[in-house]
Amino acid sequence: MSDTAVRQSLLESRGISYELGAFVVGAAFDRAGTQAAFGLGDGSIRIADLKAPRGLQNYVAHDGAVLSLAADARPHGFVSGGDDGRFVRVGPDGAIQALGAFGAKWVEHVASFADGKGGVLACASGKNLHMFDAAGSKLKACEHPSTVTGIAFDGKGKRVAASHYNGATLWFVASKTDGGKQLNWKGSHIGVAVHPAAEAVVTAMQENALHGWRLPDAHDMRMSGYPAKTESLGFTRSGRFLASSGADAIVLWPFFGGGPMGKPPVELAQIENVLCTRVACHPMEEVVAAGYADGSVVMADIATQRVLRVSAPEHGPITALAWSGDGAWLAVGTESGFAALVDFAKR
Amino acid sequence: METNLVPVTVLTGFLGAGKTTLLNRILTEDHGRRYAVVINEFGELGVDNDLVVDADEEVFEMNNGCICCTVRGDLIRIVGGLMKRAKKFDGIIIETTGMANPAPVAQTFFVDEGVRAKARLDAIITVVDAKNVQARLADSTEAAAQIAFADVIVLNKLDLVSPAEVEAVTARIRAINKFAKIFPATRSDVPVTDILDIGAFDLSRILDFDPDFLEVDDHGHSEGVNSVSLQVSRPIDAHKFQQWIGTLLQEKGQDLLRTKGILAYPNEDRRFAFQAVHMIADGDFVGAWPAGATRNSRLVFIGRDLNRPQLRRGFEACQVPA
Repeated sequence: MSDTAVRQSLLESRGISYELGAFVVGAAFDRAGTQAAFGLGDGSIRIADLKAPRGLQNYVAHDGAVLSLAADARPHGFVSGGDDGRFVRVGPDGAIQALGAFGAKWVEHVASFADGKGGVLACASGKNLHMFDAAGSKLKACEHPSTVTGIAFDGKGKRVAASHYNGATLWFVASKTDGGKQLNWKGSHIGVAVHPAAEAVVTAMQENALHGWRLPDAHDMRMSGYPAKTESLGFTRSGRFLASSGADAIVLWPFFGGGPMGKPPVELAQIENVLCTRVACHPMEEVVAAGYADGSVVMADIATQRVLRVSAPEHGPITALAWSGDGAWLAVGTESGFAALVDFAKR
Repeated sequence: METNLVPVTVLTGFLGAGKTTLLNRILTEDHGRRYAVVINEFGELGVDNDLVVDADEEVFEMNNGCICCTVRGDLIRIVGGLMKRAKKFDGIIIETTGMANPAPVAQTFFVDEGVRAKARLDAIITVVDAKNVQARLADSTEAAAQIAFADVIVLNKLDLVSPAEVEAVTARIRAINKFAKIFPATRSDVPVTDILDIGAFDLSRILDFDPDFLEVDDHGHSEGVNSVSLQVSRPIDAHKFQQWIGTLLQEKGQDLLRTKGILAYPNEDRRFAFQAVHMIADGDFVGAWPAGATRNSRLVFIGRDLNRPQLRRGFEACQVPA
């Protein structure tokens, strides 16, 4: 991309940036679309009011590092997990409420789901996946044979998947007696995504590949060819594509017309010899945002294959990337403590 | 050496050998450094430290066609997680459970790119109970593996044994691993700076750690794990060596616990350093040969059922023609 494009990046024309001084572990928007939050390696959650996003409020949520951040299941606020073994709720005013404390076991993953009727919260600590209702009351704990390395809800919040050694387990959120559906494949699985219509579960693997199970028959799918591990993966809103990091482009596997079996992936926004580190699928359109190891952020329209540069290659590897629920804002964070909010709303 | 990589020290040893005592010393002594500690038996450590991480030793086999390539997935996650911390630390110490085989920990630092980008394996320290180690060597295979893998051996509890027993234990350890540095200790009282951040896995420092390189191998300890050191005087043909060592590691890798070498290539002023843990190898050019030094190529194997004549013939055949 030309120097002119770099100088006129969207981040500069439509963004607000922050220097936060610590590793940006995660970014999220509340469900009401009023606030954005960044979770940092110094244990703080920095919250911006989207009506006046210039200033960030600084709330200390963990003694140590934040390891995971998500929107609360309620309209306002966030949930986070930390290496202090706590799962906390951070209110829109910064009120911290501990929902779970697991001692020396880190809370490495958090997730939430909400629809008009209610919601559910989940966190992973050690071998357990813990579920809570939207009020924060514990629903149940699900145990796995080894440490849980990723959690993801399906599009309806009925089921939640947890990745671990030798596969993934799919749990019914509402069931009290369910033993979980085992999806087996030998090896270390390090992250998970669930198709929005629950047609497939896909995990990232230690061996620079993805593994998938078609549902309900658990037919295996192998997606390989990555030069590095996939740290970030997710389905587009329609479920037609699975976007993934781990190559020097956004790798999109087709989940239609019999795919991904026997179909090559679509590769977009290649930046030669620079790894894509984060992907975030737009909540409304077949559009993917991606962050790279050199600090570049792009967004790509899958149908037209048009790529728009969001930020220039600076500020260090992208480690956090999230869309607001209406797709009007993109939050970006890097390893070096740079963060930004980019406004995509029509003007 | 890449100084921005966090040094990682692996601490092995049987239950009761003195690992926890050593850890407590490292965490409480005034040496001006801060360590993150990954432990398994949580609660034993009587130190309040916000950088103590509770881990389950989770070993898995890589699907890479290498049958002995086992890796600690928990460490991949923990190293990644620790790097997010704003409060910095000078190193990571990983304590293994008493019966643990050190290979998966070591292999983790060769195999995972994310870990390699942030951390480097500094040394494997094995704490040995001078009073009980002979019994452990007799009734387990892990004791020998822990000694074989060690770069540093803390020979502990010397107040409980006679000088003759110390001599016998030292000879036994040397028969297994003659290249580790042995520190005599009582209540794990070794100078912390002598055992941490010493660069034992650093290719450029491989030579520093084998003082008796030229000695002939011990005989009479043919059972179990032992060491073989080889030396040749003519330069090594790089291609021949790669072929030979590659095949050897592929075929015998399960029995070859550690391999280290310094090679002289023809018309090359730099030394080539080589090391392997089981089948996983690493090699690179390190500093130049010292002026006037004899450019002998040397290779060390620590492993089970080592066939010295066969290894010697193989290494000798890698030399350029006379």
